[in-house]
Amino acid sequence: MSNATAKRKKALKRILSRFDLYLMLLLPISWYVIFQYGPMYGLQIAFKDYNPIQGFIGSEWVGLENFTRFFSSYYFGRLLWNTLSISLLSLLIAFPIPIFLALLINEIKNLNLKKTLQNVTYIPHFISLVVIVGMLDLFLSPDGGFINIILNSLGIESIPFLEKPEWFKTIFIGSNIWQNMGWQSIIYVAALSGIDHQLYEAAKIDGASRLQRIIHVSLPGIFPVIIILLILDIGQFMNVGFEKILLMQNNLNLESSEVIQTFVYRNGILNGDYSYSTAIGLFNSIINFALLLLINRYARKKAETSLW
Amino acid sequence: MRKLIILVLSLVFIGLVVSGCSNSKDASKDYVSEGPSDNFNEEGFPIVEEQITLKFFARKSPPNGPYNEMKMFNEYEQMTNIDIDWDDVPQDGFQERKSLEFSSGELPDAFYKSSITPLEAVEYGSSGVLIPLEGLLEEYAPNLTALYNEYPEIKSSITAPDGHIYALPAILTLNAARTDKIWINKTWLNNLELEAPTTPDELVSVLEAFRDNDPNGNGEKDEIPMTFRNFGQLLNSMIGSWGMIDQMGNHLMIEDGKVQFWMTDNRFKEYLQFLHKLYDENLMDRGVFTQEESNFVGNMASGNVGIFWNQTTDAFNKVKDDYTGISPIIGPDGDQLYSAGPIARDFGTFAITSKNEHPQATMRWIDHFFSEEGSIFFRYGIEGDTFHYDEEGLPEYTDEVLNSDQGLGPTIGQFTPWPGGGSPQFVTEKNASAINPPEAQEAQEMLDPFLPDPIYGTPIFDEDTTKEVDQIRQDMDQYFEESASKFITGDLSFDKWDDYVSTIEGMGLDRLTEIYQEAYDRTN
Repeated sequence: MSNATAKRKKALKRILSRFDLYLMLLLPISWYVIFQYGPMYGLQIAFKDYNPIQGFIGSEWVGLENFTRFFSSYYFGRLLWNTLSISLLSLLIAFPIPIFLALLINEIKNLNLKKTLQNVTYIPHFISLVVIVGMLDLFLSPDGGFINIILNSLGIESIPFLEKPEWFKTIFIGSNIWQNMGWQSIIYVAALSGIDHQLYEAAKIDGASRLQRIIHVSLPGIFPVIIILLILDIGQFMNVGFEKILLMQNNLNLESSEVIQTFVYRNGILNGDYSYSTAIGLFNSIINFALLLLINRYARKKAETSLW
Repeated sequence: MRKLIILVLSLVFIGLVVSGCSNSKDASKDYVSEGPSDNFNEEGFPIVEEQITLKFFARKSPPNGPYNEMKMFNEYEQMTNIDIDWDDVPQDGFQERKSLEFSSGELPDAFYKSSITPLEAVEYGSSGVLIPLEGLLEEYAPNLTALYNEYPEIKSSITAPDGHIYALPAILTLNAARTDKIWINKTWLNNLELEAPTTPDELVSVLEAFRDNDPNGNGEKDEIPMTFRNFGQLLNSMIGSWGMIDQMGNHLMIEDGKVQFWMTDNRFKEYLQFLHKLYDENLMDRGVFTQEESNFVGNMASGNVGIFWNQTTDAFNKVKDDYTGISPIIGPDGDQLYSAGPIARDFGTFAITSKNEHPQATMRWIDHFFSEEGSIFFRYGIEGDTFHYDEEGLPEYTDEVLNSDQGLGPTIGQFTPWPGGGSPQFVTEKNASAINPPEAQEAQEMLDPFLPDPIYGTPIFDEDTTKEVDQIRQDMDQYFEESASKFITGDLSFDKWDDYVSTIEGMGLDRLTEIYQEAYDRTN
């Protein structure tokens, strides 16, 4: 009996003796196969002229026609720029903030104050998006919105924020931070609480100041978590908050608010142009996938932490 | 390796299941000459001697109860001897269910209130899933045929390029059901001793007075001089006064048999300049570009608005005595047109499939609802139970229905499917008191002389043309709406007008005009 077969037999035995546990795996695996991998079969319609009567297989192949149509669309440049810039700005601005918040929460010793701060920052996460956008509408309204009332009292004229393309990204990312920073900080707070207290005490004895303790103990302690979350975020790089953008969009801010996903929704799903929207969606996913590979490789080399 | 094979196999299997579909029949089958069976009566009720059962696929709007329990349909089953087995699918996810229904091969006998799009009608009609109806209409649908003869534009907007009719629309001969009335706050006019405006200049001065002179007398500058439901309504509200209205469901006009899009017209530029002035001087509600429908409804209901456009009075019932309808203003060149929806509204409300073994009976079944008696039956239900006739002989819902705690729409929706829209129905002066209260009727009279005749509905193109139109419009519509909005707010200066025109033209305006011209010529 060769070594390999012996090994396989052993593994089989192990599986059989715990077959009930493995049985439980069946459900998640079939979920993935049916709902995550199965639909990939439909991706072929990106290269077809899809017609529901003829079905996925029967529809005619058109090669890259849907892609060329998208790339030569009047809006392609603007779409790509908006998608990239919103993603990039979110990453640069919104990503570090929960980390700062977590460090802050970690440093607060007064338990009541700590709990209050955590609650106040968590709550917006639980408000539905539609309500959030409705609130933005109210707060930023040129007549009667409280932001504009403040501006007026400072002698500045009202600004119709949601109608100005140049304000869109600021509002979108700003409100995202407000919505999510508390929620996203939870994982960092958890990581921080896992750091060995002896490290802090040792640093203290060595005469490290509070700031030095944060920089040299806390931050390195949660660094792996930061990298993993960063990689996961980048995997979603091109998927900017689609629902929220769609809700915030209007004719006047389209110039800076139209992103690939809203374009797919409006031209593909609403018009029933499935092949075209599949092609655009595929393009979007390919960029995401490429970025994910890139950043993972980089992280593995430089930071020695990676998803795989 | 084995795992991979299993994975691939299961993917293929799933794919086969998903794509297992595709059944088509030859469309050339003649459903008229086949001749009806002995069971079928060509006139009168019942339609069939011995009961038959048909399976109908239908959309169920939020106010609708279960179709199988609707009193009106149950009564109709007694009358016709045709039992309908309803597959009533809720509005959420309806579009997906409809696509599945079409592609699964498990076809119903007919699609009812299913919002079949022109593209679907052409695709499934030419592939034989839906049957051509024109022969059946001629033979077995006297009511519909009479209406089609009276309003020829109906036929042109439902006939596919291959000459067949695959789906039926709703028909609204009542003008009041197809227009937004122009409502002005007459209390404010009285308070300020002003007359209703008749020209752009007068409109501006009235709006200025509304803005500055505190017409509601509360000492605060909180009045909204003029508001609109959304950008689309803003654009269409006064454009007729500059000589342009929508035809064929599009921003185009038909002059001397020539189709012409008005997006690049010089008169349209002047109109935009006028709107820009209103915007710039705060004479209109600036929230129009961003607001939700609920904001608009709230503003209407508050009574704190000078002028707005709305179909009827139900949304501002409490303050309706403050408002009166006015005529469109007379534009700079003396134009005074007003936009209205086409008579054949809601394309694709009813279609018969090739699976149906009783197409004649089905056609007679639907045709009754387009008679005067049948349309009242459809909208009001059963006399003595859900409605009665008032002194003038007009139907009126019973107090029980009108005062129901559930709200009017959901209560009516329990015995007939019309609340929620998109039904195969016939709306006339006689059967529309709900959308046609005396105030709305008076306001409508101010508009009637200015409605174009006829109003052409959106034409149906063949599959390839539909795709071409979609591709052109995909960029063009967005660019147009975006630019027009910016011209109005001043974010885009009118110096850029020529750039705007050349961009639109570069997107294929000539080709689009050509396509619509062909569609127009085909039917006229």
